[in-house]
Amino acid sequence: MHLLEVENLNKSFGGLKAVNNVSFYIDEGEIVGIIGPNGAGKTTLFHLISGFLKPNSGTMKFKGENIVGLAPHKIVNNGIVRTFQVVRPFRHLPVIANVMVALKSPRGNKKIEWIKTIERKAVDMLEDVGLTELMLEPAENVGHGDLKRLEMARALATEPDLLMLDEPFGGLNPLETDFLTKSIQRIHLDHPTRGIVIVEHKLYALMKIVKRVIVLHQGAKIAEGKPEEIAKNKKVIEVYMGKAM
Amino acid sequence: MVTSYLRRAHSSFAAHVVDIPPRLLAFLLLLLLAVLPVLNLNPYIIGILISANVLAIFAASWDLLVGRSGQMSLGHALFFGIGAYSTALLHKYYALPAWITIPIAVAIGTAVGVLIGFPCLRIKGPYLALVTMAFPIILTSVVYTLRDIFGGEFGVRNVPAFFPSLPIEQQKIAEYYLTLLMLFISATVLYKIANSHTGIVFVSILDDELAAKASGINVTKYKLMAFAISGLFASLAGCLLAHLIRVASPPTLSLTMSFSVVIVTFLGGIGTIYGPLLGAYIYYIIDRYILTIVAPVPYEWIDAKLLIFTIIVAILVIKWPRGLGRFVTDKLEDFEEARDIDERGPKIWKTYKKKEKK
Repeated sequence: MHLLEVENLNKSFGGLKAVNNVSFYIDEGEIVGIIGPNGAGKTTLFHLISGFLKPNSGTMKFKGENIVGLAPHKIVNNGIVRTFQVVRPFRHLPVIANVMVALKSPRGNKKIEWIKTIERKAVDMLEDVGLTELMLEPAENVGHGDLKRLEMARALATEPDLLMLDEPFGGLNPLETDFLTKSIQRIHLDHPTRGIVIVEHKLYALMKIVKRVIVLHQGAKIAEGKPEEIAKNKKVIEVYMGKAM
Repeated sequence: MVTSYLRRAHSSFAAHVVDIPPRLLAFLLLLLLAVLPVLNLNPYIIGILISANVLAIFAASWDLLVGRSGQMSLGHALFFGIGAYSTALLHKYYALPAWITIPIAVAIGTAVGVLIGFPCLRIKGPYLALVTMAFPIILTSVVYTLRDIFGGEFGVRNVPAFFPSLPIEQQKIAEYYLTLLMLFISATVLYKIANSHTGIVFVSILDDELAAKASGINVTKYKLMAFAISGLFASLAGCLLAHLIRVASPPTLSLTMSFSVVIVTFLGGIGTIYGPLLGAYIYYIIDRYILTIVAPVPYEWIDAKLLIFTIIVAILVIKWPRGLGRFVTDKLEDFEEARDIDERGPKIWKTYKKKEKK
């Protein structure tokens, strides 16, 4: 049984087919990349899986159970957590309290070891992404790169079975990109059964961590395979570079 | 044994109150309020302070809903009126004493809070403000329509006083202490809630509802909780007022009532819980004391009083846009040489800060 199984998913806004008959699966412990040019439907796909949008048709099964039509918070409590392309911190709250919000959710609360308090667990989550120095700073005073990491810490606080990262490297400098790549790899090693999906534009950073890549173009899946194969795929090159003369 | 107990009490008081400037200030203000009646003040001034206490409870409840949870409500007088009318009607029809009618009225206020919460779940910002503004207007027209029950513009009269057996001056003082006690309890509970883990979730909904959902928070549940808590304390304030002025009348449901909490809260600092308390006292001192006794506005100019008051409030808000309450705590924090930390959140990071310093 796959961890997440998506079949014939459709979503259109008026006449525009944002997601067109997309089927794919994600297994336990797998890191999958989803790439595609602007407007390919990657973010819409994320919204559909995380319950912020309802699909027009199609099925989505998580651990064999249907998740179509569930409210976003219920999907999170089932074990699918996503981050946002544009960071969405709770600006009035200090960094540590941002993580505590996720720990107040039913799943987050259940995953706290009985000996720990919610604060202690929050500090541990911040330690994992290296933000302990900033933990008392209100999130509105924190820089973009740190907010990206905060977003990761908040997502990981509920200990998801499937982590979905929407452009985690967006707006990061090479040093920060490198750091984030390493922490994603460490998360993968620490939790070998956790599935990770990454949507990304920066192919160079992405191709180093993922095992399998799904390529979307104009809402439809056009290719799927190992990173090396995808890099040589004619269709993909055409989509990104235009047709050869 | 007694001395050792006293010594322990003293050292814990020193550690938990005296060492922390904001708490020390709050304690001194409370002490001042507690000894005020001993100064043999004019009953009129005691009356002002009683009204300020009631408005402070009302404003603090509004602050939890709006300042902390971000559910803009411009019809908070609904809860106030429901509290006042419930206790008055329960007395009128069942002749129950105040200590029974008030808990029932407060329970009704809480239930109405949840009921109002449901239609308000899907709307935000200015739309939510407009919808909430409609509810007290609806209730006002019910009051005017069902005259036999609600008494129309005269309201429900003959609500019993709290201490009918005492002579009039002592009655005022007893009422003052009762409202002060209620204010102390309400403000403490609201402040504790606002700074608890639940309070953090409230602020997360204020900041970014979508991100709160993506963190697994059942936003519906927490919004309804905020409406219920806010309704509870607002209706408590309404109950107290009905018993103090001995009538439950349509002005408790008026727009003026709804907006007075807005003014008071912005004056004191929105989102602080303690700010509105300060704002309520300033409001009554300016309106009923300075403009009435110290520099009385002539009777022909009585309509200009509101104008003068509005100008004063406007100046204060421009001078201290984050509110007087925050201004005071900011000064205290400068005094403490502490870093700037927003009050919209829990206490814990203050303890972390202390550990860091060591």
